Amino acid sequence: MSLFSFTLIFAMAALSICLVLIGIRFALGPSLPDRITCFDLFVANIIGIVAIYTELTGNKDFIDVAIILSLFGFLGSISFAYYLLKSSR
Amino acid sequence: MKTFIVHFLIAFVGSYLYFKYGDPFVPYNAIWAVLVASFIMFLLWLTSPTYHRSYFHKLPRAISLFVFFLKELVVANFRVAYDILTPNYHMNPAVLAVPLTVTTDLEITLLATMITLTPGSLMIDVSADRRFIYMHTLYVKDNDVESAKQEVKDGFETRILKLTR
Amino acid sequence: MFENINFLLIREIISSILIIIGVIFMLIAAIGLLRFPDFYIRMSAITKGSTLGLGLILTGMGTYFNEADMLLKVLLIIGFTFLTTPVAAHVIGRTAVRNKIPFWGPTDLEEFKDYLRKEHSTHRDHERDNKHL
Repeated sequence: MSLFSFTLIFAMAALSICLVLIGIRFALGPSLPDRITCFDLFVANIIGIVAIYTELTGNKDFIDVAIILSLFGFLGSISFAYYLLKSSR
Repeated sequence: MKTFIVHFLIAFVGSYLYFKYGDPFVPYNAIWAVLVASFIMFLLWLTSPTYHRSYFHKLPRAISLFVFFLKELVVANFRVAYDILTPNYHMNPAVLAVPLTVTTDLEITLLATMITLTPGSLMIDVSADRRFIYMHTLYVKDNDVESAKQEVKDGFETRILKLTR
Repeated sequence: MFENINFLLIREIISSILIIIGVIFMLIAAIGLLRFPDFYIRMSAITKGSTLGLGLILTGMGTYFNEADMLLKVLLIIGFTFLTTPVAAHVIGRTAVRNKIPFWGPTDLEEFKDYLRKEHSTHRDHERDNKHL
């Protein structure tokens, strides 16, 4: 195992720790907008993991997953926020 | 803006055709693709005073706005990172009502996007008569609200005004 | 002159450095998400840190592959992220203000009082709007 792939695996491990921390905030979060923010960060972290995995395996097809995910994550957080905006009164 | 989009499309298609059908004497990789596209863009920019006079001045201003925005993004990120990693809070948050000089939809959208993307400041709403924006900011030095507002107006707003007027 | 340089090694080094910096920004953002005291501070400070981290990671990946179509996809993702993150942050922030999420204690709310009063007293308008539907 070269130093390069070791670095990438280390980066993926660090991003997984990020996911755990965000999960703790997701469980704690005192209000619903906190959880929507957590969802946003979740999607950003997973795009990062997909990008690093693409580089690790050298298979260029995986990056399309990241494109789709970046669009759908935005749609998800917007629709949650809009639902909250309309339903809370 | 329209001229920029047309020029960008011409440069994109031109560099694509150059690498596909032309006889490229440079290797095909990312750096050379960007260089060829920006070279075509530069040639188009040199010809622009004959049909769109103000575009000749506006492209350098747009680039300077973009560079200033990137610098602001990195500097503010490091400030927030310092605040996270040290045990005490150095923040002094406030909600400011910044008076607007910009008027049109495009300018307000640009200003709001740039304010929201720099860490430590979040735009909440535009007032109903479009004369103020309400932004939540983290670092107000010793409760001097006016100078914090002036900083926003000097930083982004004057550059956007130079670009669009 | 350029024959003896191992370009693959240089690309790997640059890409590793960019990815490590991006991951550190994301880690700082996640720690800050746990540490900061109030929703608005978390929102304004954190989401953009992760955006910058994501941009650095994707740039590192584009540097490693060094192909024009890969660069195009990377620029597409970075463009989407930088376009959509402020919109999402703006909508979520305004939702939080309408839902009366409290501000942190030391926040200076002097100029925001009018807006808050107006915002919290117009409950009836919204119900009236919904009756048309």
